Amino acid sequence: MSIWNYVVTAHKPTNVTHSCVGNFTSPQDLNLIIAKCTRIEIHLLSPQGLQPMLDVPIYGRIATLELFRPHGEAQDYLFIATERYKFCVLQWDSESGELVTRAMGDVSDRIGRPTDNGQIGIIDPDCRLIGLHLYDGLFKVIPFDNKGQLKEAFNIRLEELQVLDIKFLYGCSKPTIVVLYQDNKDARHVKTYEVALKDKDFVEGPWSQNNLDNGADLLIPVPPPLCGVLIIGEETIVYCSANAFKAIPIRPSITKAYGRVDPDGSRYLLGDHTGMISLLVITHEKEKVTGLKIEPLGETSIASTISYLDNAFVYIGSSYGDSQLIKLNLQPDAKGSYVEVLERYVNLGPIVDFCVVDLERQGQGQVVTCSGAYKDGSLRVVRNGIGINEQASVELQGIKGMWSLRSSTDDPFDTFLVVSFISETRILAMNIEDELEETEIEGFCSQVQTLFCHDAVHNQLVQVTSSSVRLVSSTTRELRNEWHAPSGYSVNVATANATQVLLATGGGHLVYLEIGDGILLEVRHAQLEYEISCLDINPIGENPNHSHLAAVGMWTDISVRVFSLPDLNLITKEQLGGEIIPRSVLLCAFEGISYLLCALGDGHLLNFMLNTSTGELTDRKKVSLGTQPITLRTFSSKNTTHVFAASDRPTVIYSSNKKLLYSNVNLKEVSHMCPFNSAAFPDSLAIAKEGELTIGTIDDIQKLHIRSIPLGEHARRICHQEQSRTFAICSLKYNPTSGEDSEVHFVRLLDDQTFEFISTYSLDTYEYGCFIISCSFSDDNNVYYCVGTAYVLPEENEPTKGRILVFAVEDGKLQLIAEKETKGAVYCLNAFNGKLLAAINQKIQLYKWVLRDDGTHELQSECGHHGHILALYVQTRGDFIVVGDLMKSISLLIYKHEEGAIEERARDYNANWMSAVEILDDDIYLGAENSFNLFTVRKNSEGATDEERGRLEVVGEYHLGEFINRFRHGSLVMRLPDSDVGQIPTVIFGTINGVIGVIASLPNDQYVFLEKLQSNLRKVIKGVGGLSHEQWRSFNNEKKTVEARNFLDGDLIESFLDLNRIKMDEISKAMDVSVEELCKRVEELTRLH
Amino acid sequence: MHVWKEIRDREGGKVHSHCFAKRIKSNRISQLELSNQKDIVSPHKGAINSLQIDSTEGRYLLSAASDASVAVFDLQRPAVYQPISKHSSLFLLDKHHRHAHKFSVSSAIWYPIDTGLFVTASYDHHINVWDTNTIQVVVNFKMPGKVHRAAMSNLSTSHMLIAAATEDVQVRLCDIASGAFAHTLLDGVMTVEWSNSSEWVLVTGGCDGAIRFWDIRRAGCFLVLDQSRTQLGRRPPVLKGSMMTKSKALSLQDSSTKSRAAQKKHANGSGSKQLPIGRVPSKGPMKQRLHPGMLSTQDRATAHYGAVTGLKVTEDGMYLLSAGSDSRLRLWDVQSGCDTLVNFETVRLQINKPLQFATTQDATLVFVPCMRSVKAFDMWSGNMKSILRGHYECVNSCWFNQQDQELYTGGNDRQILVWAPARSIADEMDGPAEDQDNWSS
Repeated sequence: MSIWNYVVTAHKPTNVTHSCVGNFTSPQDLNLIIAKCTRIEIHLLSPQGLQPMLDVPIYGRIATLELFRPHGEAQDYLFIATERYKFCVLQWDSESGELVTRAMGDVSDRIGRPTDNGQIGIIDPDCRLIGLHLYDGLFKVIPFDNKGQLKEAFNIRLEELQVLDIKFLYGCSKPTIVVLYQDNKDARHVKTYEVALKDKDFVEGPWSQNNLDNGADLLIPVPPPLCGVLIIGEETIVYCSANAFKAIPIRPSITKAYGRVDPDGSRYLLGDHTGMISLLVITHEKEKVTGLKIEPLGETSIASTISYLDNAFVYIGSSYGDSQLIKLNLQPDAKGSYVEVLERYVNLGPIVDFCVVDLERQGQGQVVTCSGAYKDGSLRVVRNGIGINEQASVELQGIKGMWSLRSSTDDPFDTFLVVSFISETRILAMNIEDELEETEIEGFCSQVQTLFCHDAVHNQLVQVTSSSVRLVSSTTRELRNEWHAPSGYSVNVATANATQVLLATGGGHLVYLEIGDGILLEVRHAQLEYEISCLDINPIGENPNHSHLAAVGMWTDISVRVFSLPDLNLITKEQLGGEIIPRSVLLCAFEGISYLLCALGDGHLLNFMLNTSTGELTDRKKVSLGTQPITLRTFSSKNTTHVFAASDRPTVIYSSNKKLLYSNVNLKEVSHMCPFNSAAFPDSLAIAKEGELTIGTIDDIQKLHIRSIPLGEHARRICHQEQSRTFAICSLKYNPTSGEDSEVHFVRLLDDQTFEFISTYSLDTYEYGCFIISCSFSDDNNVYYCVGTAYVLPEENEPTKGRILVFAVEDGKLQLIAEKETKGAVYCLNAFNGKLLAAINQKIQLYKWVLRDDGTHELQSECGHHGHILALYVQTRGDFIVVGDLMKSISLLIYKHEEGAIEERARDYNANWMSAVEILDDDIYLGAENSFNLFTVRKNSEGATDEERGRLEVVGEYHLGEFINRFRHGSLVMRLPDSDVGQIPTVIFGTINGVIGVIASLPNDQYVFLEKLQSNLRKVIKGVGGLSHEQWRSFNNEKKTVEARNFLDGDLIESFLDLNRIKMDEISKAMDVSVEELCKRVEELTRLH
Repeated sequence: MHVWKEIRDREGGKVHSHCFAKRIKSNRISQLELSNQKDIVSPHKGAINSLQIDSTEGRYLLSAASDASVAVFDLQRPAVYQPISKHSSLFLLDKHHRHAHKFSVSSAIWYPIDTGLFVTASYDHHINVWDTNTIQVVVNFKMPGKVHRAAMSNLSTSHMLIAAATEDVQVRLCDIASGAFAHTLLDGVMTVEWSNSSEWVLVTGGCDGAIRFWDIRRAGCFLVLDQSRTQLGRRPPVLKGSMMTKSKALSLQDSSTKSRAAQKKHANGSGSKQLPIGRVPSKGPMKQRLHPGMLSTQDRATAHYGAVTGLKVTEDGMYLLSAGSDSRLRLWDVQSGCDTLVNFETVRLQINKPLQFATTQDATLVFVPCMRSVKAFDMWSGNMKSILRGHYECVNSCWFNQQDQELYTGGNDRQILVWAPARSIADEMDGPAEDQDNWSS
């Protein structure tokens, strides 16, 4: 049963909705604060650019974000209001580097109708009050007292019903607002009101202005000395104040965002709907406005916010494309643009559709999204884990170990690659042609397996075999010294660094050698009670060539021990528990913290914090990486050290924010890995896998990798066809020169490797592509792309005509095979029992694929089902059809083969306005609705009465806070059939804000455990601004608010791993489960995404 | 507005999803016509007096008729699907039922919390509370006279009171929990309505044309609407002569229609007596403080000439619509108690019966029974947006189903009609391939 669901974010929201600039973190710091719908980010402006300081979730959808400075304060406070009527005032605590809540509250009212044009939150420039317009006809005032504290809020009636914008005016002795509104006759006016705080009412303001531009939509208050307000229309810009009125015509455009350049308010940046930014200048003489000037500067992403930072640097926040950091140059470039894009910040939003594919055929899902809009439309390939870009590979069976060696100690590059086999050792080297060819190092013994190799000081190399340790000159390649194992003993395991060798022979003998110039000196010998399984002396102290600690893993008592060097004294002994022996130990340091990693034979990894001076091991944590023995190796990429864990599920271990993170490597099975930084293949890794030796570079070490394929047009639907190795998209191109309605729609075919357009089918005028699938039909072996369209005629209100087009891919071209006219828009298509199921306006219609006498095929309608308002989203499973209606929630239909009819089985009678549906299993269906909620319903086929059977029972409810456009079954991670998480079914979703999320259906016991953990975490992790997690996740729409049930917030649960030890202990105590166990279980969940 | 484009804009985040829902709804509402998909099979043998759909699921319609019958319909699952869905009553309570009313049932309302209970009020001086599942009376109130209307608060979390407007000069509050009368308010009333902003506030419409607001926890009414009070939103101007600019003059001109209308009211010679009641922002300080209960007894202000026949509070709780036997429809601003002076284009209303009218959720349209038709008025301009003709006799009641954007109306012709957004029945006939058009290019 998929009732118990776990919702987690794989890719955070990237749609920038608000931004502001001020001195937030200290009076000297200039900060950029960005809101991404449910998160805020604080950046610091530094000479190196924008430096991230904090990224935190907000338990609400941010409706307004404003910086302000109360009287007597040296730095700014941050005011946030959420769409669910909560507000908070935040202050930066520089000591802890955290946000402190100064004030918070609820500003909801029982009366009043939520505003249509978005919530408005503004702060009086003289900090006398906060003004909120949340409900039509009401203006809420939160006054400040003299000390800058907020007092009780009250409402003032605002008679203007259709308010478009409200701003505070500067330079007024009493707080004064200017209101832009539309009247009953659709004419737009501005009006001013003074807020009389004592009487809690408005007083008529100093001026008003009637009959403005019909597209006037935005007010910009102008600071002193000029004061007044700019009214931005679609065709004119007006400056207006009590004693001046200036207007200029502009090129028709819709201004989406503005940013003030100068503190005196004489210049502004305006960003329009096509991504053009312009500079608006108020010309003035002696504080008297003389006119307005506007000049286009150039093109950026379509801006939703513009924040002028400093020195001509501007942050452009975007909802439809990547956000940007730009510089405005004094001189135009060759194309006449003053804009120079310095940096791009990835934005996946709005994700209108996506598909899950396995392009590399490795069992690892990738998500290909239709992202962005208008000119910034793109496809994004989102992949979890770290990829290896193969540079070269050779077929080599039975590799037992690999090491890279340099030809001299100060050579920056590696020359040799030592590859060890069961009964020989081969040496590869780069030749002059930069090819890898077999070579020899005379001093090495190549007839036996090599146990370990390392570069040593004084231009030497060390080779350890089962019988001896050989010290070889790297220049002459001759043997300089050799240490022999005592007769009757052979070396089992060995390790070395540039100056030290540690080896273990049978019988538990541990031998420590030191390397001198041409000398191998046995310094110490110790006898342990059991056999030794693994060793490590990787230097993590200040001296990169020498370690004063040795880690040793043991057979029999299953322990890991830390010895001091050179005296081989036992410092610490840690019992690992269980029966699986440690197979690889590693001393390493990340971000200045030392760790001991210990990998077991069953794919588990233990990590400990290591106190390098005392050798003490603390903070034991255990994670499961795979199912096979793991070999650990360090490597460095971009000057940072990481650890590669080679196993059946290769993983890179890295550290971020002083926390260890595990990221999959997108390779199937890796037995050995060693870094190989040669001149021809800089920063590469040599990887032994499945009878192959590969040399390749590694991706940036991060969890999600996003590749962007800009289209220059807006892709709306995508699907992949395995057989032809192509993608097909429905896209549209805007023609900005001739107004909104001039769009051209296409069906395009893309190569699934290069993402190039290889074929295009243009749709008719007014014909829009609505849906696309790849499917096949019964009695026909071919695979087709089926496209559903709608004719959107200007005079109509709802489409009455559409088409279903059936394409085959022949020689890389889209060939129209059949078409069928429909009586409405084809909102959805599904392959269904070898037929085609279409959702056409109110109807579900089934088409069969019929062979005509002339050998061609056609779609013939077989049966249908009425009774929907608009059937927008349809999913099928077997004979069942699940329909998500525009406004009537989910209904379940069944196709009856014998009768050739579709009948309704059950429905959910709630009035949910749907945005996506998916079938989790035979009985549970998942829905996303218009108010950003998720819910599940259950089919009740065992119900006693017709009424019960005919009702889909709501079993789960949750507020996601994101608008979901699409669900798809699949996974972003490699699924191992024998691991725990491999059994958990997952659904991926994509949202308007660019979130990619995962919904995992958990077994009940795990759900119960995590629910308990979640409720404990709620007590320990306080929401920013004092916002409540419980309230945030409660299902909420205009009809009801109910507590979340049968859904868990994975983001909260996984933040357990970010807690400090004290808080972890607190939770561990409350849960009565060890921290180690909690970490392991949560860590496992992070592997779902 | 084009539905398909709206859907596209919603998925692209270009329109906020709430705004999307609102636009789709208002588009659908603007297309209301007699439904060609849905039919209510009325079992009543008398005029339909009252209609209500439960607010929990928006699924069950409760109707009351003058033949003393009450019926419940399932609006989601029709008895017959083809060719159009026919909804027969799930049950009918007529005179054959043991507990049935003897005379005309004036009101039938759902218990606001769930559909397990409903309340009927009748001219036989009784109010019955029914268990929906057993169809038995669980509580019965004997009233002093004919009951014109009963109402329960949608907001109530702390009381279970039925407010009843009776022939007697009293409003009674009947407590379902105790089965007793909780309270009696003095007023000669035709109709009652609970506030949508407070569970304690009740509005009564009197036979004397007065609309009174009561806080049921206190004695006396706290607000009496006065049709002569019309200065909504007039703020005192800023006290700076120099600020009078050209634009100011313009705005004055703009509102001249308002002031003229106000003068007209005065010319009609009403409301010579004005007492400052409630919160009157523009009226300066009160001369003397009176006990609120005393205040109401002295207040003789009227909202209509003649009786108040219908009341409806908008869903946002900020406005009140009233109808009177003067055939006037008025829109009041509840907070200030001012008439907004929206002039609803000449209405002729039934005057001898309480009227039940309906508003849309976003309060843009009001549906008013106007003799044999139902008129839809724009709430803010008073313009008639559409006229729904279908009943053969006078229409008594309207109920708007917010969930499906359907209007239900009942009239003296014993019919219950459904008005739904127009939809084309595009039933696809699969003819031979009509491939004359060469689409592929």
